[in-house]
Amino acid sequence: MTRRTLLAVALLAAAAPRLALAQSAERRTVQYKVGDRLEGAKGKAPKDKPRYRDLKWDELISPDWDPQAIVRSLNLDAMQDGDVRAYEAMRRLKEEWNTAPPNPALDNVDVRIAGFVVPLEREGDALKEFLLVPYFGACIHVPPPPANQIVHVIAGKPVAGTATMDAVWVSGRLGQFPVTTSMGRSAYRLQATLVEPYKPS
Amino acid sequence: MAELAVELADLRFAWPGQAHPCVEIAAFSVARGESVFLHGDSGSGKSTLLALLGGVLVPQAGSVRVLGTELTQLSAGGRDRFRVDHTGFVFQQFNLIPYLSMQENVLLPCRFSVRRRQRALERSPTLGDECRRLLAELDLAPSLWQRPVTQLSVGQQQRVAAARALIGEPELVIADEPTSALDATRQAAFLDLLARECRQAGATLIFVSHDRRLAAHCDRSLAMADLQRAVAPA
Amino acid sequence: MKTLLLLALRSAWNRRLTLGMTLAAVALSSLLLLGVERLRADLRASFAMSVSGVDLVVGARGSPVQLMLYSVFRMGEVAQNMSWASVQWLAQLPGVAWTVPVSLGDSHRGFPVLGTTAAYFDHFRYGDRRPLRLASGERFDGLFETVLGAEVAERFGLLPGAKITLAHGSGDGPAPEHGDKPFVVTGILERTGTPVDRTLHISLESMEALHLEWVGGAPIPGLSIPPQHVRKFDLTPKSVTAVLVGLDNRGAVFGLQREIAAFRPEPLMGVLPGVALDELWQLVAVAERYAQLVSMLVVAVGLTGLVAVILAGLNERRRELAILRSVGARPRDVFALLAFEGVAVTALGAAVGALLVGVLAALAAPWLQAHYGLALRPGMPGAAEWRLLGGIVGVGALASLVPGWRAYRLSLADGMTPRL
Repeated sequence: MTRRTLLAVALLAAAAPRLALAQSAERRTVQYKVGDRLEGAKGKAPKDKPRYRDLKWDELISPDWDPQAIVRSLNLDAMQDGDVRAYEAMRRLKEEWNTAPPNPALDNVDVRIAGFVVPLEREGDALKEFLLVPYFGACIHVPPPPANQIVHVIAGKPVAGTATMDAVWVSGRLGQFPVTTSMGRSAYRLQATLVEPYKPS
Repeated sequence: MAELAVELADLRFAWPGQAHPCVEIAAFSVARGESVFLHGDSGSGKSTLLALLGGVLVPQAGSVRVLGTELTQLSAGGRDRFRVDHTGFVFQQFNLIPYLSMQENVLLPCRFSVRRRQRALERSPTLGDECRRLLAELDLAPSLWQRPVTQLSVGQQQRVAAARALIGEPELVIADEPTSALDATRQAAFLDLLARECRQAGATLIFVSHDRRLAAHCDRSLAMADLQRAVAPA
Repeated sequence: MKTLLLLALRSAWNRRLTLGMTLAAVALSSLLLLGVERLRADLRASFAMSVSGVDLVVGARGSPVQLMLYSVFRMGEVAQNMSWASVQWLAQLPGVAWTVPVSLGDSHRGFPVLGTTAAYFDHFRYGDRRPLRLASGERFDGLFETVLGAEVAERFGLLPGAKITLAHGSGDGPAPEHGDKPFVVTGILERTGTPVDRTLHISLESMEALHLEWVGGAPIPGLSIPPQHVRKFDLTPKSVTAVLVGLDNRGAVFGLQREIAAFRPEPLMGVLPGVALDELWQLVAVAERYAQLVSMLVVAVGLTGLVAVILAGLNERRRELAILRSVGARPRDVFALLAFEGVAVTALGAAVGALLVGVLAALAAPWLQAHYGLALRPGMPGAAEWRLLGGIVGVGALASLVPGWRAYRLSLADGMTPRL
């Protein structure tokens, strides 16, 4: 009996690295659907960095911004169905959404935010720079988010094993930097100290 | 200092799965420095007896005292240690490890036993010197010393084996049919050589063979058949 | 312990022919496993570092991966080109910091020719945002001037001032030549370890001039406009293969991508290089996984052979083991002796395999560089390879327990007198 057990153990050990590989491949394909967001689950803040504030994507927009104001400016009760002014107003609204101002309070703060990865620069296999977006499929299948819902992340240490649309927690210092384009006056940039895979708890 | 080199009492050993015991000895003792000729045909249980004396096998019943130590009370590792510390073995053939040199073969017990290593170093400044001394004593010419052991004649191999058994002065030397592969003319000479060396070192010699003509070269001679008497019920 | 080690080594040396064969088997299988890993990792790194700091690659709508492969790596082809009007529209889009149009299709003796603007040398980056530098000479300025990549210059022994004739097509077979319009080398770039090294760079106007009297991939027979009169014709390019785009704000890339997709006059697409590469890796991932699995199986086969050889030789060694028992070896010493042999052969075999990987990589690297612009790292194993090496030795050690165990049992049963 003991000889056979040893042989079985040896064969299992030979199979172990193969199983490990298969497992790591599986880990990546937690199936997100297009439009999925990572809200509502509490992750672990890094133990030695309690000062990171957990951030939700909605907070990235200035609290002063009031989309309802445009709807209020219309007199919807007095309109007919299919009124072209309503259509125009909606189009303007969507434009406004695209250029909504960032939250002025969120400049030079340590935050922690979860999102999906769009890679920009790699160093070998490791990711150095990427864009963080709020929902799955944000550049591939569905309209992209507006400027204030995209965070340009620069990793302090390149992150291995991360591919497009992987869900991650990013912790670091969030700042805004001015951009001279018509698509908004400034953009979010995050100097990341820690990037870890997102695990719903 | 124990009086007796070997003392067996009410010894019984049977191989697993066999009903009839292979070795059954009521009493047997060997004094220190004695040379004993043990005669027995094949199947008489002599190899088993030697294995019991070497502590390789453990009897189902009875006591095996070697140099005053009760082997049955030692752990397996303890018996292995005791064997190399105090016993030297010579076998019938294929005594030597083919991929080691002559000197490495002779010095094997010193690698496994601190005691024998120390005693060897008491005799000569280095282990190599002690090895060469013994080989010379056993009539092995220096010209042979560098030869691969596989190229030695049987007689030469047996003498190298004897050197290995004697290095570090173990108190007990057990020879299991060492001359059976030699020609008749050489057999007696080998036994004399071995007996002389043991006498010089003060070691006890147990010499097993089926050839009764060699019995005269030892102090005492007895047959396995006489030894194997039924153990008296406890 | 030292005694056992020495005994094991001497014993193994005694059977070096048989063990040598299994060592070769382990070495070759290690070579396969480690080689696959190195190739995989290095190719990825090579691709990733071939372009840096480009936010979008814009071209005619089609396959993003194809566009990337063609415009950046000069591999394969694209179905459609992009019109010059679209290029101009792109350049004036708000948010666009710079644009560099590139045009492919010509070649010189198997090396691709790239038509582009002078802005290419300003904005193109590779690796860690490294700019292109000239090793000698200067950029092209006028017509019929070319800047060479390091590999091209080295291969043909060209220096600034040399004259060459370009040939159409990708250069595998006989191709129509532009013999009447020779080019002069104005500069040579420093080596980058990317496909840039094997490219000849000319201006877009030169590209246009080359094909002035060509229609549909071949010259009109009998027609030849001499170089000095070429300028009389309009040399604005009609179409390009792709445009490399840099933005003011990298985060704005998606908005721009949508604008490009919504462009009415021509179906276009903007590709994020990082995303397209990831897509490429996903396509390749299945093959990678398969190759890794197969090489692991091969290693398992090699180790099984090793164990079989040691087990087979065990019977002959029972006498030897009995002698060792008689001089004081314990059954577990016998176990250690046999097990150690397996571990030693595995470790040595794996080491030889790793060495072979380094040697083969060193031999293959120049060829890969010259033909594909891909950088293979020669020499010492990387982190992942060390892990694999550890895995091989670990599995070998476990497998070696089998002959060790068998020897242990035999030794217990045989004692000092084996019944052979």
